[in-house]
Parts: sequence; C-alpha cells; structure tokens
Amino acid sequence: MDTGTRISAIAHVSLIGWALFGGTFRSEPLPMAVQEVSVISAEQFDVLTAQRNAPEVPTPAALQEPEPPEDEISAPQPVEEEQPRPEVATPPEPEPDPVPEAVEAPPEPEAVEEPPTLEPPEPVTEVLPAPPGPEAQPRPADKVAPEPIAPPPPDVKPDDVETPAVSLDEGAETQQEQQDQTAQEEATDEIVTEAEEVEEYAPRTSPRPRVRPNRPTPPAQPEVAEDQEPTPPEPAPSNEAAINDALAEALEQSDEPSGPPLTIGEKNAMRLAVSQCWNVGALSTDALNTIVVVGFSLTRDGKVEGGSLKLLDSSGGTPGSVDQAYQAARRAVLRCGAKGYQLPADKYEQWQDIEITFNPERMRIK
Amino acid sequence: MMRLLTSLLLGLTLLTAPVYAQNGPLRLDLDIGVIEPLPFAAPNFVPDGPAAAQYAQDISRVVAADLTGTGLFREISSDAFISRVSSFEAPVQFADWKAINAQALVTGAVNVSGNRLTVRFRVWDVFAGQELGNGLQFSGTTEGWRRMAHKVSDQVYSRLTGEGGYFDSRVAFVSESGPKNQRLKRLAIMDYDGANVQYLTDSAAIVLAPRFSPTGDRLLYTSYETGQPRIYVLDVDRVKQSELKTQDGTMSFSPRFSPDGRSIVYSLIQGGNTDLWKMDLASGQSVRLTNTPAIETAPSYSPDGAQIVFESDRSGTPQLYIMPANGGEATRISFGQGRYGTPVWSPRGDLVAFTKQNKGRFHIGVMRVDGSEERLLTSSFLDEGPTWSPNGRVIMFTRETQGASGRSTLYSVDISGRNLRPVRTPDGGSDPSWGPLQN
Repeated sequence: MDTGTRISAIAHVSLIGWALFGGTFRSEPLPMAVQEVSVISAEQFDVLTAQRNAPEVPTPAALQEPEPPEDEISAPQPVEEEQPRPEVATPPEPEPDPVPEAVEAPPEPEAVEEPPTLEPPEPVTEVLPAPPGPEAQPRPADKVAPEPIAPPPPDVKPDDVETPAVSLDEGAETQQEQQDQTAQEEATDEIVTEAEEVEEYAPRTSPRPRVRPNRPTPPAQPEVAEDQEPTPPEPAPSNEAAINDALAEALEQSDEPSGPPLTIGEKNAMRLAVSQCWNVGALSTDALNTIVVVGFSLTRDGKVEGGSLKLLDSSGGTPGSVDQAYQAARRAVLRCGAKGYQLPADKYEQWQDIEITFNPERMRIK
Repeated sequence: MMRLLTSLLLGLTLLTAPVYAQNGPLRLDLDIGVIEPLPFAAPNFVPDGPAAAQYAQDISRVVAADLTGTGLFREISSDAFISRVSSFEAPVQFADWKAINAQALVTGAVNVSGNRLTVRFRVWDVFAGQELGNGLQFSGTTEGWRRMAHKVSDQVYSRLTGEGGYFDSRVAFVSESGPKNQRLKRLAIMDYDGANVQYLTDSAAIVLAPRFSPTGDRLLYTSYETGQPRIYVLDVDRVKQSELKTQDGTMSFSPRFSPDGRSIVYSLIQGGNTDLWKMDLASGQSVRLTNTPAIETAPSYSPDGAQIVFESDRSGTPQLYIMPANGGEATRISFGQGRYGTPVWSPRGDLVAFTKQNKGRFHIGVMRVDGSEERLLTSSFLDEGPTWSPNGRVIMFTRETQGASGRSTLYSVDISGRNLRPVRTPDGGSDPSWGPLQN
C-alpha cells in the first residue's frame, strides 16, 4: 500500500466517522398537535351548515349590493337579524324619547342614491346629456305665469295668495281665525304643446337679453376759447327778486306729490301684484295685439277708489279688442287690489294716482 | 333785513320740498301676466214654471260645458256658491261672487209655453260690478233647446273674449266602424260637441273627405261608389246627393268650395298625372290650374278667395305652396324638415294649418301664410286632416292609433297648443270638416 492510498483511506474513515458521530444528522422528536374529535348528530350538522350559509362579513363598499327594498328587509328573517347591520332598514320602534340621530340619518336614501355597482361595466362608455330636471323641462299646466310654480299639495286650496293653515288652538291666549292652507296653482312659464312635450326638453324660445342701454350722453361742455376774452359778468339780480322767483316756482309745484319716491323694489312689488291677476288667457288674438293704459286712484289703505278706474289710452287693435283688453286690465287691478295693495304708507302721495300700461306683446309667444 | 331773511328761509323750505317729487301719477309698465282659464259661475237658469225646470237645468249645463270645453274658462262648482240666483231680475250680489273668485257670472231664465221655449240671459263682470253687454233672449222649439244653449254660449264667449264663438256649428265627418281591414265608412254630421249625430250615407261605398260649403247647406265628398274616386255634392237638409261630372277616364278627389260657394277646386288624375282643377258649379265647366308632372292635391282657398294653398311634391317631397286662385306661379311656403300636407287656410286668413310627417311621427301644426312661425301643436302615431273652427281659434283633426286594432278618433286643439281633447262620437271618426255658424 503506497502512501497515497493510506492517506486516502485515513481521510475517508475520518469523514465517515465525523458524519456518524459528529451530530450533523441528529434527529429530535417533532412537536405533535392533538385534536379531539367527537361524533355529532344530523340535526346538529344542519344547524352548523345553516350558520355557514348566513351572510358573510360585508364586502367592500364598491362591490356591495344595493339595499333591498324596505319591505323585503322588514320581513322576518332570523338569519339576517343575527347579523350586525349598521343600516337601520326596519322602521324605528316607538320609543319614549326618540333619538334624533335615527331620524336624521335614514340609511335608505343613501342606498337609493348610489347607482348599482354590480352591473357589468360597459365596454364603451358614451357620455349622454343628462336628462333635464323637472325645473328645466317645461311642464304642461293650465296656468302660464311669469315664474313657474310647482304643483301644490293635493289638500291645499288654490288661491292667488299663499297662506299657511291656521287651526284653532284651545290653549292659545289669543285665538287666531281658523283658515285653510292655500297656495298658488301650478303654473308653467310657457305653453307646452304636445309636440314640444314629446320631442323636446328645452324650451324652443328664450327671452332675448335686453340690449344694453346706451351710456347717458354727458352734457356738452361749453367750449371756451382760450384766447377769448372773458365776458364781463352780468349784474346779479337783487336777492329779493330771486327769492320771489323761487317762491313763485315752488308754489306752482306745490300740487306735486311730495316725500321720498318709491324704490325700484316697491315699484316692482306693485307691478308683480297686478301682473298676477292680469289674465290674458281668454283674450282674442286682436286683443293680444292691443296696448291699453289704465289709470286709477288708491285710498290710503291701498284699495282702488270707486269709479276712479278708467281707460286713458290705447294703441293697436280694433275698438272691440280695446274694450276686451281694457276689461282684462280692469279685472287685474280690481281683483288683486281687493284687499288693498301693499305700498308704503309714508309715501302715499307718490302712489295715490297710478297709471299702468298693459302691453301683452310678450304674452303672445308664451 | 328781517323781512328779507324770512323770505329767504321760506323760499329755501319750499324749494327743498319738491326734490323727491315726480311729475304726475306713478307710471308702471306691465308686459307679463298670466294665462289661465278664467273662473266663471253659471248657476242653473231660473225656470219660469215647472215645465221649464228640466230645460233650465240642461241649458245651463250645456252652456257651462261649452265654455269649459274651450280651455279658456273654468267653471266654479255650485257647491262653492254663497248666493243663490232665484230670480232673473234680482240684483246680483257681487260681493258673494267676488268671494269665490268668480270673475264672470252668467245668469238666465227659461220659459216654456207649449212647444215654445224662450231663454233669457245676462253676463256680468263680477269685479267691475257691471253687466257685459245687454241681456238677450232666444226663442225656438223645445226640440232645439241644445242649439239655443249653444247660441247663449256663443254670446257669452264673444263678450268675454272679444271674438266670435263656434258652439252653434256642425261638423261633417266619416264615421268608421269595424276592424281596420274591413272598415265601414259612412258620411255623418253632428253638433260641434259630438251630439246629434246623423248619418247621411250608408256604408255600401267608401266615402272620404267631406267638405262643407261656406253656408253649411251642402257637402262635397269623394266616393268610390263606381269603383273610382268621384266627387259628389250632397244637400244636407234633403240628404240628396249628385255626382259632379268631370272628364271621362279621369279620377277626381280632394274637392273644396270657394268662399263664395260658386265653384270648387279639386284634384284630377289624368294620364297618371295629378293636377289641380277648378269647376264652375253653375256651368259645370272645369279649367286647369296647375300643369306639372308632380302630384298636386289638397287645395284650400284663402278667405278672400284670391289665393289657393295646396300640397305638391314638385320639389321632391310633399311641401306647401300658394298660388293665385286662377292658377299661376306658385310660391313654396314650407321649408322645415319632413313632409307637409293637407293645408287649410284659417278663416281669419292669417294662418295655415297642416299635417306634418317627420321622424316617424305625425303632427298637426300652424304657420303664417308666408311660412314663418311654424308651430307644431300635436304629436302622435298618426294625426292628419285639420279643419278650422268658424272663429279660427280651434282645430279639429283625425288621430289614429297604431296596430291592427287601431281606431280613428276626432280630436280638437286650441291654436296655442293647449286644450288637446277627443271629440266623443258613437263610433270612430275621421276626416272632419267644421261648418260655419248656423243662422
């Protein structure tokens, strides 16, 4: 045996001995889990299965199904009752002290407002114009008024003036007169024909914006030539003569109304009050082409003085249509002034005599 | 000096006062009002005796229905009345009617003596506290009580609106019964509101498009009695018809009277071409008005008889044209999208009513005679054949529903587009022709 063979034999023996006794392949007992089992009956198995089919933990909001209708939720379903549902779908139970939060935060509207998110997304999303809201779409109504009026509640009495209901209160110290609630009738701001109602949402015509008024022309400045010699001032009249002139002028104007003038808002309020009763719906085509000017006097409580109402002027139309137009204007003034126009009492002299020009031109295209 | 100062102070005081003054009364301009039915009260007319009680009630109800049916008026229920009208001559308690917002009041009385019926009535402007016009009375037979009620309505309408009424008028139409593929058609006439329907022909032959004469005593219509369309004229009172002879080998249809009733204008098919012709009724002579390869039909005279509006497809699609009554150059007046047809000139002369087909829908519309201000009043599966009320305020037309069981019904609509409503007839109805006010 040569030296190399001996060295090799010693090295192999040493390696095998280290591997066997050096601890490299030492084995230890593994930890063992012990599970206890028991035999159950078929009824117990069904109960366990039912619980497993109950609604799971709510899914993320993006995938949550829309709330089912209230009547479905309120149906007795024991499984759902076991689930904690933050959305209070069932009617709140009567309690001695109702909790305001329960009323303020009904869960149903949120579910209704959110669009259902379980629908498969469309491959191509087309942007459609939003359908006009009820306020944008002209609605057919018996009445056409300057401003559209929403339909009143069914149990409210129609009237020109909107008033709240007043009922007898036995405990009240001062008893108010009982009255029904009234509201103005439903109105649209233009006539909607069947053709327009079906085909179009937007009104066909819109009032053309008024032309911006021209700027007031500044008063012409007197041209003064620089090289012109200043004219000698005229001799001033005597003070007494000037005072006498001013006094005479003031006395001439003494029959004019005095006091502060009506504001624009006060004039518009008067205009609106009459316009609400100016009904041109039954006027003929000729009468709708007729402008009438009506004059009348008011008493201090805003009522029309008897016999003061008269036709002052007219333009367009035939004598018959003038008469019809005047009748409509007269009805408007008398009807809406039956209880007295609301005008500032301290400015009575400003509104004691009134002239109104009734021009139905804009009503022809309604 | 003291006098001078006093005068100065007095002058300054008076001068400052008119700073806020205005010249004369407060002046306001009003250009916006409301359009709504005018509330009116029509308490039952007072009967002069027991025999008049039912007539008084019935006449009151017809008057109220006439006014309400216009869409311009709204009747106040008798439940709201504070005053009771127990005497025609008693003074009106205006305050009671003001309180219920009755702006107009119609009072009346009815007397029956044998077969003679007399109606008296008055119209009141409640808020002005005065009568509109003068009291009036109508007399006739008891059988004609509905006509007298319509005459009262016409007077009330006229006094409240300023334009003539249309209640005492009749409508000729084609009464239709049976399924769509086997429809039986009869010429019929009725009151404007669908009452008193009378049949003028049997259903042996198809009849089309009746047209009243200006005086309402005759009717033109088209019948297929011979297998080909022919024009007939019918005496309404005697229910006697006769054919208007045209050239041999031709077909004639779509006739209409001239305003003077002495001639008619109609369409005639000759050699496959349809043109407009005019026939003098006294002589029976016809003259050609158009001579084009296009189809010209549905002619209608202007109220003065000087012009004719008609339908022609000379531009490629049916459009509306106007030409002189004796023929000549025609001017196109319709330029909107779709097809236009069956034009009818308004009795007032300012508008033309028409049928329009566009995007699969049919419309009844109006436009000015120069073609401006086109306005569509209706929209449905099939609307066609407009006819004007005598006062030019209302249009009646045919509406047909879709499907094999579709039914033709007469409808009316105000020229504003409001008050669209069906006209009740015993069977279906089509091709209405509104006659003039009766004498």
